[in-house]
Amino acid sequence: MIVFEQACKTYPGGAEAVRDLTLEISEGQTLVLLGTSGSGKTTTMKMVNRLIEPTAGRILIDGQDIMAQDPIDLRRRIGYAIQHIGLFPHMTVAENIAVVPKLLQWPRKRIEDRIDQLLNMVGLEPTAFANRYPSQLSGGQKQRVGVARALAADPPIVLMDEPFGALDPITREQLQNEFLELESVIRKTIIFVTHDVFEAVKMGDRVALLDAGRLQQLATPRELVENPANEFVDQFLGQHRFQLSLLTQTVRSIGTETVRPGSEPSPRPGVCLTFRTSLVEVLDLFKKTGQATLPIYERTTYVGELVKKDLLQVITKLLGEDGEPRETHDDNQNETGGAM
Amino acid sequence: MTIATGFFTEYGAEILQSTREHMVLTLIAMLVACVIAIPLGIMLARCRLKLLVNIVMGMVNIIQPIPSLALIALTVVVFHTINELVGSRVIATLGTAPAIVALVAYAVLPILRNTYTGIRQVDSAVVEVATGMGMTRRQILFSVQLPLALPFIMAGVRISTVWTIGVATLVSLVGAGGLGDLIFRGLSNYRVNLILAGAVPAAVLALIFDWLLGRIERWLVPSDARQTQAP
Repeated sequence: MIVFEQACKTYPGGAEAVRDLTLEISEGQTLVLLGTSGSGKTTTMKMVNRLIEPTAGRILIDGQDIMAQDPIDLRRRIGYAIQHIGLFPHMTVAENIAVVPKLLQWPRKRIEDRIDQLLNMVGLEPTAFANRYPSQLSGGQKQRVGVARALAADPPIVLMDEPFGALDPITREQLQNEFLELESVIRKTIIFVTHDVFEAVKMGDRVALLDAGRLQQLATPRELVENPANEFVDQFLGQHRFQLSLLTQTVRSIGTETVRPGSEPSPRPGVCLTFRTSLVEVLDLFKKTGQATLPIYERTTYVGELVKKDLLQVITKLLGEDGEPRETHDDNQNETGGAM
Repeated sequence: MTIATGFFTEYGAEILQSTREHMVLTLIAMLVACVIAIPLGIMLARCRLKLLVNIVMGMVNIIQPIPSLALIALTVVVFHTINELVGSRVIATLGTAPAIVALVAYAVLPILRNTYTGIRQVDSAVVEVATGMGMTRRQILFSVQLPLALPFIMAGVRISTVWTIGVATLVSLVGAGGLGDLIFRGLSNYRVNLILAGAVPAAVLALIFDWLLGRIERWLVPSDARQTQAP
């Protein structure tokens, strides 16, 4: 668990990068720090591994003040992944991943096994990639190695600074999905920095929206989208509100009354929904399959079906509820998934 | 053919002897210059006192524009003055000692400047990542900054070596030997063969060392392992 207690970072000269930040990140949660550049999101993240030290307030990890710990030890226990330049250009993929395990003086065999395991985990064939240099990798492959390196010594906490920032939208989405899947297996406490509200909503258990060093709202993605705490949050979400609410609403959240019992198809179809499927994905699947109903499964159990007409009704209601007529335009559609 | 044979029987031994002196002078000067310039460059690159850095770099920069012959002559003068001040002959004012000092003074600058820039040009984001991963300052220096600065340092050593081989032809004037002996003797007696006997090996030495150091550099740092320019 990570706790910020009125943490501040004031630079000599009086510039306040972060002001009175109080928040908690429980174990295994992903907290997204969201904001424009200069909002203090990266500063906040870097305070956790003391790359930047708070000038007031406290930051505790598992109840212990980080300022009382040796920064070198602290950092070796925290995974760190950053945007594009992150990999050491003079080290191979394997050497990059081995950095922290070597610092921790793991035996060689253990390091080698760990490299293979991690490369497999991030979807890179070890025999093909272990001895390549970063300059021989594509953007997406670099980021995969970056993620693998951050996880190398199996740290309980991982800091990620726009890890998928420098990628094209398609690769980014692919990596986001893979990372979500990976994360559900490894359960780390993650602090994830991004300026992209879609990424924030997608990756975060909770989202902290910052502006000018102050916390504007700390909420689950759905709360953030549906109950903006103030004018700033409302403006930040801007014209993306409706898309974001489709992204944060899931089959579960639109209510069980929408789900019809149906009859279990046999055999199990290739395309199906789960309670966690977002409405954006549901719409996509209706479009892709052209079917009027889609079955819902929870793992292997059939739980009912969703009828397209019912879904459209829900969406119409969402449009109505959100009220403001300007948000009903469909000219936002092209921007789905795009960066802010 | 007979002329060539005659030439080599007459000067062969002397060419070999002078070439060996030339190489020894160059290697000693380069070794000393590296031992001084590389650590100093590293220290300056990590030094937070901007003023100190500027003073040292400024001092080294003053030496560079001095013509090499003048520098060699000045070294003799300095040695002479030291002897006068001490009141006894503590150092030989002629011969190998002033030659090596002059060569070192000349060879230091390119290595120092390249070491300094080499470390300074390492992307600060890369250094920050290394810090964030829990490397100590020393570990960052040895496993991140120095490897990434190596192409620069090696380029400095290469430039310096080629210069030193050239300047070393002049130290024969202060009695330090080397291929300059043949060249100057050939010039003063106007014997073309003798001039060539000194000049050609000196040129060949420079080419060989340049090529050799280039190979070593590529072997140490494969082209894929270099820091790519920021996108």
